[in-house]
Amino acid sequence: MSNVKIDIPWVEKYRPKSIKDMALPSARMSGQRVKLAEELTNFIKNFFEERKKVNIENKQIRQYNRTSIDKEQKEELKIPPEKAAVLLEGPPGIGKTSIVYALANDFNMEVIETNASDTRTRDKIEKRLKETTKTRGIMDFITQSKEKLILIDEIDGIYGVQDRGAIPTVIELIQNTQFPIIMCSNEYKTNLQSLYNKIRRYEVHPLPKNEVKKIAMSILKNEKITYLKEEDLELIIDKNNGDLRGIINDIQGITQGNIEEDHKELILNLHRDNLEEIFSLIRDLFQVSSLREARSLTDKSDVDYNFLYKWINENLLTFIKSNRELSVAFENLSIADEIFGKIRINQDWSLLPYFFDLFAGGVALSRKETPISKGFRRVVFPRYTSGTYFSLTSVEKKLVEKVKKKYEITQIDFIQDFLPFIKILCGSSRRNLKIISDWLDLDAKEKKLLK
Amino acid sequence: MEQEIPIWRIKYLPKNLDQICGRKKIKETLKHIIQQQNFPHMIFVGAKGIGKTLIAQLFSKEFLKNNYDANFKLVYADIPLSQEERKQVRSDAYISTSKIGSGAGRTITTPAFIQARVKPFVQLRVLGGSPFKILIVKNFEALGQNQQGFRRLMEIYGRNCRMILITTKISSIIDPIVSRCQIVLISPIKFIDFKDLITIIATKESLEINNEVIEVLYRISEGKISHAIDLLQLSSISGKIIDINKLYEFSQKFHNDLIKSLLMIAFKGDFPNVRELSRKILSNYKYDINEFFKLLIDELNKMPLSKFVRCKLINYIADADFRSILGRDNDIQVSSLFSKICLFSEYI
Repeated sequence: MSNVKIDIPWVEKYRPKSIKDMALPSARMSGQRVKLAEELTNFIKNFFEERKKVNIENKQIRQYNRTSIDKEQKEELKIPPEKAAVLLEGPPGIGKTSIVYALANDFNMEVIETNASDTRTRDKIEKRLKETTKTRGIMDFITQSKEKLILIDEIDGIYGVQDRGAIPTVIELIQNTQFPIIMCSNEYKTNLQSLYNKIRRYEVHPLPKNEVKKIAMSILKNEKITYLKEEDLELIIDKNNGDLRGIINDIQGITQGNIEEDHKELILNLHRDNLEEIFSLIRDLFQVSSLREARSLTDKSDVDYNFLYKWINENLLTFIKSNRELSVAFENLSIADEIFGKIRINQDWSLLPYFFDLFAGGVALSRKETPISKGFRRVVFPRYTSGTYFSLTSVEKKLVEKVKKKYEITQIDFIQDFLPFIKILCGSSRRNLKIISDWLDLDAKEKKLLK
Repeated sequence: MEQEIPIWRIKYLPKNLDQICGRKKIKETLKHIIQQQNFPHMIFVGAKGIGKTLIAQLFSKEFLKNNYDANFKLVYADIPLSQEERKQVRSDAYISTSKIGSGAGRTITTPAFIQARVKPFVQLRVLGGSPFKILIVKNFEALGQNQQGFRRLMEIYGRNCRMILITTKISSIIDPIVSRCQIVLISPIKFIDFKDLITIIATKESLEINNEVIEVLYRISEGKISHAIDLLQLSSISGKIIDINKLYEFSQKFHNDLIKSLLMIAFKGDFPNVRELSRKILSNYKYDINEFFKLLIDELNKMPLSKFVRCKLINYIADADFRSILGRDNDIQVSSLFSKICLFSEYI
């Protein structure tokens, strides 16, 4: 046995090759329990049958269209969207992507994948997927090439400005596809509603604990690792909350670190940066009783401190109630903010510890009277983004543009200074309103703003 | 015939450096510079609304003469980039490997603001016979971290383009930039000059106004000429004679009742509501944070409070104002201020 380790992540190494030897997570479709393997296999089979049927009919229609140009042209058929695509929805790391790859392997198909790491604007998706979906290339007809399976991973990651127009493109894709499409998503998103209406949606649930443990044990056995105790393993599993990928990564991280002692310490230090972590970190922070505890909390966490102190600012009121404590907490927070500003301007990063102690420990320890509540407290996102962000209504914007033609003014000055003045001036008499609106060449809507 | 401009503040806007009232010393220096046809980078410092930008603009106009349109640009540092600009920057940021040259395959990491607004102008050659281009950056302090990007820019393109940075607070500009510039202090207008200006406008509009009223106007408008002219025009609507009552009445209209109610809630010690309202005011009226503090002080001075309370409150505001200069999150500073006022409210 050679000691050379193949340097690929275990997650890839132990990715199931076939859907048959895979521990399948349970799934539901519109509330009803379904067997995922069966459903998906049927989906692929049905798709190809449907495609064959549609293609034969289309051939006839095309022939008909070609021969009888004068007559009314018949429209070509398409594969109905619910048969062309499915969506798998579930928390990260439970095996959604693995299922798709295993499935493709079983059917001897090639997977074309796009995920959140690609920016998915309309153009990009079209470039990458559309041509593959619509046509089968010339080479495909010559050689008996593989069929393709299209995987749109992390579809809930499509949002915002970067991925503008992506959802309609995906829908269009589904309607015109020549290959089955499987999409994966982590959570229900309202902006994907138009997509949900068209396709079948499976909710995938995490694997039960004993299944996870079985898989982990088999990996350990395969890697010939004996020193990781069963209770340690359970700790890892608990910490990861059913995220199988996380568990495998953690086991690899711990065992390949070649530290054979103090696994527990290492396991406890495992953190995966996610929202839940920020939530629990903030909850924990307000429970501490010494500066040292607070510091160890912030030290361990990987949450970006740029945001962390804004989170604390937003959530202070949930945990601290009395005015006396609040004023102390905010005093500390404001000094922390000032120090942070100094750090950023002068690049004095040596001041960072003070910043940490003030915004975490200083704030948390200001709670003296309010009792620690054991109950669940809701932690919210920082709503207020300070800075120079502001927005005008479209009418206001037009008005500013018109004024700008005559008089150089910024939008801010316009709103704070100029608009109130014009309003009073125009409100004083009809004649003034007319003169000014004529001079600025305003339409009725903009005039209304001045009244 | 040219249509008459109905808004006085635009009508009486100076058209050249000579028409700017007062500030003889600055005008002389600038005129000297125009003769020399050379100047270093400059920083114009002065309070808000006293005409820094106007002076800078008129100066560049006379300096560049006929080539003004081609060689001049005014950039607002505090206006966020539009979506198109961001998109453009993002698409420009990566130089494709298919291109020829040493930059191929590299990613440009210049801040988006500089990449979008400043660089395209600065890099281009001077047009016409002017010695260099002029770039005015308004509200330079709003750039924050991006100021660092200007350091090299000022050196590399200094020969091609001179910059005039306009700011209200020089303390928030990083030292390396201050050291590269000549500082020009623009002081508020003096009363004598103010009086001259108002008298000229009054005679042109055939208004009756006496010295006492001008003094009040000067005080109310805090040296902001545009504000003073606005008030003058409003007061003139109901008659050609301007008196103090009219001025006060209209200046009151400009004021915001919300600030008063904000303080009243704070005096009741209801912190959650104060925080809500202060956020609303700041985001709806787009107040600059320092301006907001100033409004608070104004409102405090109008309230019937004991000397001790007033002093203490002003002390708090001053503290918060000072911290907000260095700090990065205004919301924290405002919250901190009101939490202190709420606590203190028990003693009022």
